[in-house]
Amino acid sequence: MAAGRLTARSDADLIEASKRGDLSAFEEIYAAHAGRMKSIAFHLLADRADAEDAVQEAFLKIYRAAGAIEFDSGLAPWIYRILLNCCYDTGRKRQRLAESPLAAEPAAIPNNVPLQMAIRHALGRIHTQHRMVFWLFEVEGFRHSEVAAILEIPEGTSKKWLFEAKRELKRLLTESCP
Amino acid sequence: MTFDCKDLERALAVPELLPDAREHAKVCDVCRRELWLWGEMSAVAPGLREDWETPDLWPNIRQTLVAQQQAAKPRGWRGSFDWRMIAGIAAALTIAVSIFMMKYSRPTPAPGTPRDSDFLTEQTLKEVEQTEAAYRASIDKLTRLAQPRLSAAENPVAVAAREKLLVLDSEIDSMRSAVNHNRFNTQLQAGLAEMYRDKQDTLKEILQRAQ
Repeated sequence: MAAGRLTARSDADLIEASKRGDLSAFEEIYAAHAGRMKSIAFHLLADRADAEDAVQEAFLKIYRAAGAIEFDSGLAPWIYRILLNCCYDTGRKRQRLAESPLAAEPAAIPNNVPLQMAIRHALGRIHTQHRMVFWLFEVEGFRHSEVAAILEIPEGTSKKWLFEAKRELKRLLTESCP
Repeated sequence: MTFDCKDLERALAVPELLPDAREHAKVCDVCRRELWLWGEMSAVAPGLREDWETPDLWPNIRQTLVAQQQAAKPRGWRGSFDWRMIAGIAAALTIAVSIFMMKYSRPTPAPGTPRDSDFLTEQTLKEVEQTEAAYRASIDKLTRLAQPRLSAAENPVAVAAREKLLVLDSEIDSMRSAVNHNRFNTQLQAGLAEMYRDKQDTLKEILQRAQ
């Protein structure tokens, strides 16, 4: 996984210290995860200010609920589950989740755009859950076991949804570029 | 095996078939392009990641947390004045209670009899647990009403709501487990109540949307 990932032991230490009110320990958790959290939040909300609000709300909830964390599946899945929850809240409050450029049905993909832009465009047209798995696995670099823990689905389902996402994307991309 | 264009999809799902697919792609432009695209999607995907500077984000979070910590602590400086006042009141109360006890002393309660302070804490806990039971009853009722609408709908908002409820249920389970180990912890109880409120609000919103 990407740089900044913490070991299970240090996760536990940092959470324990955070529970005692040690904000420098909590800042380490922030430093390790905030970048990726902003990216995921932006993917869901399509707005940087909303994404920052969701990440801030997530960290406040994480700090408040630190006493309840169970380390069975590690700190990261728990953190990202809280983030997704905050994004859904922010999206519902501001009515942007359903209307975002990624979630809305866009027009056909122009056939002269670079592949990366075309993929971004096509992602808005594929199944929500498949898109989320594609984003977490291919864009953010989580392993299938981590995606499964974050989305609370079996690991096999994560693999299946990734395949479906890529198949849908391939279809959309080849349709647009005959 | 004779590999045909129609086998390509299966080959993408089964890595063992990929060498055959690559052989076939040497003589088939369409499959060559699809194979290239399949690999290229993974190669370019990390570039979709959004990254931007947010120098104010951590200071904002830290400031909020510090404010919350201070609000939870006893008041600071005004303490020196308040403390003297409180100490005076406490001393006066101690004297009054001592006189009262000497005058109307009762036999010592049997061991195991709850003291007043324990009783008050138990009483508060009982009220919290009654409130929790009321939340759960309300949530069960709302869930029964919202379930048919939730499971039928496939729009992004319904999918998001379903996912949120799953996440909330998991958080509530974790928090309940923590509360069961430490029933008198006010913060845990408050956290659990907030999650119940969140779930209740989410269910209400689903029902309002459906109307």
